[in-house]
Amino acid sequence: MGALLLSRDQKSAPKPVPRVEFQPVVGLGFRRGIDALVRVIRPTLGPLPRHVALPRATSGSPEILDDGGAIARRIYQLPDLDADAGAMFLRHILWQQHEREGDGTATAAVLFQAVYDGGLAYVAAGGNAMLLRRRLEEGARLLLCELGRQVLPVEGQEAIERVALAICGDPGLANRLGEIFDIIGEYGWFEVRTGRGRDLEREYVEGVYWEGGALSWQMLADRPKARVELESPAIFISDLEFDEPEQLAPVLRAAAEAGYRALLIIASRISDRAMGLLAANRQAGKMAILAVRRPGASLHEAVDGLDDLAHLTGGRPVVSQASPELGSFAAEHFGRARIAWASKDYWGITGGRGDPRGLRAHITTLRAAYSRITGPDDRKRIRARIGKLMGGSATLWLAGATDSEVNFRKDVAERTAEAVRGALIEGALPGGGVALLACRKALADRLAAVTGADERASLRILLAAIEQPFRALVSNAGHEPAEIMAALDDAGPGFGLDVLSGRIVDMAREGVLDPASVQKAAVWRAVTGAALALTTDVLVHHKNPAKEFNP
Amino acid sequence: MTENAALDFVYGMAVSPAFPEDGCCFVARTSGLFRSEDAGRTWTLGPGNLDPGAGLAVLAVAVSPAFGADRMVFAGVAGGVLRSLDRGRNWEAIPLPSPPPVVSCLAVSPDFEQDGYLFAGTMEDGVFRSPDRGRSWHSWNFGLLDLRCLALAASPGFARDETLFVTTETALYRSTNGGRAWRETGLPLEASPALSLALSPAFPTDGVLFVGTDAGTLQRSRDRGRTWGALGSGALDGSINAVLLSPEYPHKQDVLVLCDDRLWLSRDDGATWKPLEGEGISAVAAPIGLGAGAFILAGMVEGGAARIPVES
Repeated sequence: MGALLLSRDQKSAPKPVPRVEFQPVVGLGFRRGIDALVRVIRPTLGPLPRHVALPRATSGSPEILDDGGAIARRIYQLPDLDADAGAMFLRHILWQQHEREGDGTATAAVLFQAVYDGGLAYVAAGGNAMLLRRRLEEGARLLLCELGRQVLPVEGQEAIERVALAICGDPGLANRLGEIFDIIGEYGWFEVRTGRGRDLEREYVEGVYWEGGALSWQMLADRPKARVELESPAIFISDLEFDEPEQLAPVLRAAAEAGYRALLIIASRISDRAMGLLAANRQAGKMAILAVRRPGASLHEAVDGLDDLAHLTGGRPVVSQASPELGSFAAEHFGRARIAWASKDYWGITGGRGDPRGLRAHITTLRAAYSRITGPDDRKRIRARIGKLMGGSATLWLAGATDSEVNFRKDVAERTAEAVRGALIEGALPGGGVALLACRKALADRLAAVTGADERASLRILLAAIEQPFRALVSNAGHEPAEIMAALDDAGPGFGLDVLSGRIVDMAREGVLDPASVQKAAVWRAVTGAALALTTDVLVHHKNPAKEFNP
Repeated sequence: MTENAALDFVYGMAVSPAFPEDGCCFVARTSGLFRSEDAGRTWTLGPGNLDPGAGLAVLAVAVSPAFGADRMVFAGVAGGVLRSLDRGRNWEAIPLPSPPPVVSCLAVSPDFEQDGYLFAGTMEDGVFRSPDRGRSWHSWNFGLLDLRCLALAASPGFARDETLFVTTETALYRSTNGGRAWRETGLPLEASPALSLALSPAFPTDGVLFVGTDAGTLQRSRDRGRTWGALGSGALDGSINAVLLSPEYPHKQDVLVLCDDRLWLSRDDGATWKPLEGEGISAVAAPIGLGAGAFILAGMVEGGAARIPVES
């Protein structure tokens, strides 16, 4: 395995030369690369995974990984260029799986390999790769349909905890994540931070908060813990820059005339001179005033943040791009909340007084966007907005003896959280590869009903492939796959190996569950990806691949 | 009918679980909290040590399910909760976290003797939760998009299922983790606001709950709030301000509703209805159930309380 692992600073790769390759060289080269990558990732499948160590570019302890996506990400240039092309093809698919679903990369890798191997043999025997691809995609749809029939809802802390345990294999972490996601829900804002104690600690924050904090230290200077809190404030929502004190006067006047005792001003910048006016009002005891930086690092995020604030608080944002005239600003344009607070780095509100119907419609719109958008960064951004609007966030603090351990645990926690979200949204499947095994009957029935050579070949390939994740999982847990398969055939449908207890159990009843979204995505990506790879006939090596490559 | 001299709105009523023996009941009114120890025949102003002359409006009242042993009563007021440890004779004021919320409804855990959980719904600030018999309070509003609470109810199996429901101006929410997070139920949007709710005594097994709406429909769910069906259309025409179920429900399918200011009784799970005598009613309690010979303790719109026989 060591020979296959090339870290970032590897310099022994032979200098490439311009070259064009055709079949069967391309197919065999792809297979070498795919085999190489899958051999590294296969041991990580299941709740009792083996770890893979990767030396770091700089000195220090090696990086310990058990996540197929992250492992694949670290491997980006095999010495054999034909093999490298196949490995990179699979690597891209696994990274997509990792980014979107947080888990299931090992399942996808094993499935991909099995489908590609079976397909390559069929094509080598004279089969048509393009027709086989179409049939494999049809088979993938059949698999998704069969998996869909087995989906179970995931509700309550206990069920969430079981799903988390199946992914991370850490009972303590699974317990905490079960509690956290039972509270914050599938869209909840969740962060993992490095803690100091030995135990896993969690903190819940009700309401919404953003980075940025108070615009002036003066506002926090006389406060214990450098945190200020306003009760029942009026909220001026803007992304304006205030240079002169007079610019703020209409806002202060509107708040005073409406009888507000506290005012939160959200702005991009307030000059020291303008800040002096706020301080004077504050010191005179006329009104408690807090000024904070508008949400979002970019203009795009700022627009989103102001929009969310408007829905949460019922205020009307004053946006610089609209060239606003503050002279017409009135008290009804203020947002309202139960509490507003700010520290040096963060500020937030609790108990926004916006119209609940409008807020619900806004969240519905964001949810629709979330399900439509495919870019992982955009999805995370929208999910964070929904989570904040839903009313709270959670932070998990975890520690470890070394930086490597801390980073490893954080990575596991984040991946598990991602998969748990998927399970909450789309439900769960009986775990341990059993859900895929349960699809065998549908494939076999279809096989018995069709006569076309390509379709029959595709169904045979899939029948063999869907056993592979189960076999890998059982093998990784130290059991003999053939023996367990025989035991499962005796036990009946729905039974599988609970690798943590070593017993043959009814997986759904025992709560051994996998997120449905993860499994379905892994199947779809693996089968359609392998089918596409099989249609690759020509491989052109660039004259200078180092300049073309974008890791 | 027995009436109190004072005239003001009755917001809520609560009766001792051992009412047939102790005759203890409470009425939350604009003018304060009133207590009776003779089954509602005579009433005295409750919070005697809290300056009743100030006219402290009480919006909600609830008694401990272990009232016979712990003698605890709770009342919701502007700014916090009043707590009595001696059957309502003396009271202490427990403020909720500032800014002071107005407590509009209360729910006590059916397993209160063991877990000590108490919940307060507020007019603008969502739900507050006390884990220590009302001594301290924290807001838990994850998932609660509407913070204007109208009614709260805990599952009879709360000790195991940790289920609570809260109605708000725009939706009905359910918590399955003891009030720490809330999810919207499937109650149709047009049915909101729901003014009242009642859970079947067999809720842990039958999953039945009723919701009375401002739009004049009684909604029933048989699956813990996922799907709903309307009952009593035609007969009930007005805001359903209260819903009471027989303690033996579903074996005895008696349902009582307060529709506008009149009482309606169904003996067949809401299929048919007949009116009870009396009007001008704003709150009800059924201290000895809804069977033949039982009576309803009714709080009146103009103040006072009355005993209304279930069967005339």
